[in-house]
Amino acid sequence: VSMATYQEFIQQNEDRDGVRFSWNVWPSSRLEATRMVVPLSCLFTPMKERPDLPPVQYEPVLCSRPTCKAVLNPLCQVDYRAKLWACNFCFQRNQFPPAYAGISEGNQPAELMPQFSTIEYIVQRGPQTPLIFLYVVDICLEEEDLQALKESLQMSLSLLPPNALVGLITFGRMVQVHELSCEGISKSYVFRGTKDLSAKQIQEMLGLTKPAVPVQQGRPAQPQDRSISSRFLQPVHKIDMNLTDLLGELQRDPWPVPQGKRPLRSTGIALSIAVGLLEGTLPNTGARIMLFTGGPPTQGPGMVVGDELKTPIRSWHDIEKDNAKHLKKATKYYEALASRSAVNGHCIDIYACALDQTGLLEMKCCSNLTGGHIVMGDSFNTSLFKQTFQRVFTKDYNGEFRMAFGGELEVKTSRELKISGAIGPCVSLNAKGPCVSETELGLGGTSQWKICGINQFTTLGMYFEVVNQHNAPVPQGGRGAIQFITQYQHSSTQKRIRVTTVARNWADAQSQIQHIEAAFDQEAAAVLMARLGVFRAESEEGPDVLRWLDRQLIRLCQKFGQFHKDDPNSFRLSESFSLYPQFMFHLRRSPFLQVFNNSPDESSYYRHHFVRQDLTQSLIMIQPILYSYSFYGPPEPVLLDSSSILPDRILLMDTFFQLVIYHGETIAQWRKAGYQEMAEYENFKQLLQAPLDDAQEILQTRFPMPRYVDTEHGGSQARFLLSKVNPSQTHNNLYAWGQETGAPILTDDVSLQVFMDHLKKLAVSSAS
Amino acid sequence: MVAGNQEKGWNDPPQFSYGLQTQAQGVQKRNFLNKRVPPPQLDGSQVSLPSGAPLPAKPLSPTLPLAPPPSTVVLPARRLSAVDSTALSASAHTECEASIEDVMGLLDWALTACRTTVKRQVCDEVSKRLTLFQEMWISGKLSSPVKKRMYYLAQELKKQNWDSADETHRSLIVDYVNEVSQWMVGVKRLIAETRNLPTEVLNAEGPSPKEDTTQNTQ
Repeated sequence: VSMATYQEFIQQNEDRDGVRFSWNVWPSSRLEATRMVVPLSCLFTPMKERPDLPPVQYEPVLCSRPTCKAVLNPLCQVDYRAKLWACNFCFQRNQFPPAYAGISEGNQPAELMPQFSTIEYIVQRGPQTPLIFLYVVDICLEEEDLQALKESLQMSLSLLPPNALVGLITFGRMVQVHELSCEGISKSYVFRGTKDLSAKQIQEMLGLTKPAVPVQQGRPAQPQDRSISSRFLQPVHKIDMNLTDLLGELQRDPWPVPQGKRPLRSTGIALSIAVGLLEGTLPNTGARIMLFTGGPPTQGPGMVVGDELKTPIRSWHDIEKDNAKHLKKATKYYEALASRSAVNGHCIDIYACALDQTGLLEMKCCSNLTGGHIVMGDSFNTSLFKQTFQRVFTKDYNGEFRMAFGGELEVKTSRELKISGAIGPCVSLNAKGPCVSETELGLGGTSQWKICGINQFTTLGMYFEVVNQHNAPVPQGGRGAIQFITQYQHSSTQKRIRVTTVARNWADAQSQIQHIEAAFDQEAAAVLMARLGVFRAESEEGPDVLRWLDRQLIRLCQKFGQFHKDDPNSFRLSESFSLYPQFMFHLRRSPFLQVFNNSPDESSYYRHHFVRQDLTQSLIMIQPILYSYSFYGPPEPVLLDSSSILPDRILLMDTFFQLVIYHGETIAQWRKAGYQEMAEYENFKQLLQAPLDDAQEILQTRFPMPRYVDTEHGGSQARFLLSKVNPSQTHNNLYAWGQETGAPILTDDVSLQVFMDHLKKLAVSSAS
Repeated sequence: MVAGNQEKGWNDPPQFSYGLQTQAQGVQKRNFLNKRVPPPQLDGSQVSLPSGAPLPAKPLSPTLPLAPPPSTVVLPARRLSAVDSTALSASAHTECEASIEDVMGLLDWALTACRTTVKRQVCDEVSKRLTLFQEMWISGKLSSPVKKRMYYLAQELKKQNWDSADETHRSLIVDYVNEVSQWMVGVKRLIAETRNLPTEVLNAEGPSPKEDTTQNTQ
């Protein structure tokens, strides 16, 4: 089977099911699977946009075996006469419910049709609870910034769903919880920014406690509970005018900031109060706690740095030398808040705009565990912040909000497979069962995860283990299956369930290796390995991750390369692997694994986006896209290498976080001479415009909005391009503080060409 | 499209109008800039240059004096057509033809209709903000695009095109927040309350003067 058809197959499956597997033909034994080097794994986008898939308005039919409960799907065998179906996961025979009495071969329910391998159900379960948006706003901002932020918040009231509940907490030295009323008299409850309070204490102080009403499992809070919190959370359509005025009247924190000091910012307490406020009153309904901050927390629990300006906020060097005294404690504090929020089903966004760091390293778990956003900018008065923030509220082709809440993903596998874990913006639900592997990769030990904030791009990396014993016969029917069941609250507040059921052929790795090879998805594999690398990097330190990555790459080349022993020049990789080494080359140099070129906050920001995006965007982050525009033909992709920089070309580079348009030397001179203004050089004008038009497409849609660099040969901003295409100068000292273990590694600070040469040498060496 | 804030944010991207963004985000297109080139050593062939049209013998380097670019008619093929601006922003630069009386006449019609059933306090709050809007218009504090869009909004409101009026209010608060933030929420509320009025109330109120003057085609 040729590569071209596999590419089509892979693309069709991604389009329909939101799934990209590292391997599309599966090695049938555990031993052989480990020899493949890249684990059997997939990127899964639970809410993959499917404009052509209308949801069905009934409950899914489940397998009756209590330890199974898989959903009826196209892989199930059906006896239409007896009205029975056989579960393809556990083989239990199940009776169809009475509503299915009329089905037949010619009259199948949607969920049995092959084209509905992904299907969405709308289920009616209890009263629909409104969404909640709780703004937590730092008022220790410069006047201009505060004004810009206030305007953005006022604007957002016009973008929220009309029935949503909204609330406001402001903080600086103290924390104020604002009562929202239509009376025009604004009252607030003030908390000291230094004293940590339990959720119960917070609720008591806000007057939110009353005799406990027994809350039934899975049911939302009863209406009378809502009236208590309504002093602080009101429907937008009722409170918009008063809240607009209230926001307009917000002042900078009145406490003066002495010379040489930072403002006292009680972010930790502010977040704690926000989490506690929602926890007591509205658990398990869709909510966003939206933190807007312009500097680091400097007092109270969760403080990241003291208020003395002469003590800088921790850098990676400080952390490496164990010289970051607040780091452990602050991280632990925010992790506890994040976990509580995740249990409650509420997500936390962080909008951090400042020239210096704001403590994203310590606070990132708040967003990473809950599926909330992190947006990082220089100031609230920038287009980057304003438009990125607007895009939180984008709507789809149906005019419905893209954000969704309370995602709970359950995975089921056929018996030859088990689940090792997931990597993405989620928490484990600790659900044990027959599908759960003892080997953990990512968040393991469970077959269920919770993603509180979820949208159409949210993508998890899922890792599996083949458990079939070596030399066991290839299973009957020859296919393994996986089912993904995602329950969530749609932005319309409807409860929905999306079910995706996929299958792939087993193959004996001894006799059919060429089929397995041909079905390798190098793009998916690169991203899945990269997520594993980032996961390791966040839990271990140092060059171990790079060494591990190098080892895997060498092993992969040894296994799948064609070569003569000890003859590097003979080394070849088949087409389905041809881009993989380059991905690994760029991954090793990327900000996800090389932290010393960035601040800890920047690294946290890049990694946050990396482990949640879909495949296409993730790949752009690993290996930026470079397109060349010229007079000689249509725009074309070129090697991400300095040899692609030519005087008469314009280059467009997309790193996901930046869009760079670079004008070659001659182009720059022509532009300066003004040829684009002359009628007879209309084609030059069009050439200049072409990359701008293509960049505009991306600028208008991407979340977060990227930075935009328009530069030319000799320009100071050209460094953004040059640092990506050339071997970095600063990589030299990165291996200095690691120890050589004697294991074969690839050297750093080299060009792609040299990297490839080293790789080939190591792969063919009989000594490895 | 307006340039970003280069003073406050390095490499701040340009700002797009609400209309452009909404249009672009409605349907997610496949990322078209997604091709990569394998490095020459591993794909078997020894081609070291990207595929495509044949290159000239030597890339055009700047010479002194600077040779001009090719002026042949063959244009570089473009990947996509340029994104169209919305109708609303197309006429942004010409003066607004309507007067404040035209606009207020329509808005006041709606407010009067609301006073029959909506709480007095809410109506008063809306009225306060409409007055502020009026003052800003008269004292020249509102730009021409804001005035034109407000006139359009008021007309849509009178025609009971609620969604269109609502979208217009959103486009105004997104694109011109610093001009409108103090009073736009009143207009937002006015639209929301008016659309919920019983039909007899809406149709009982006579058309305000100048309702059928030349439609400002946007």
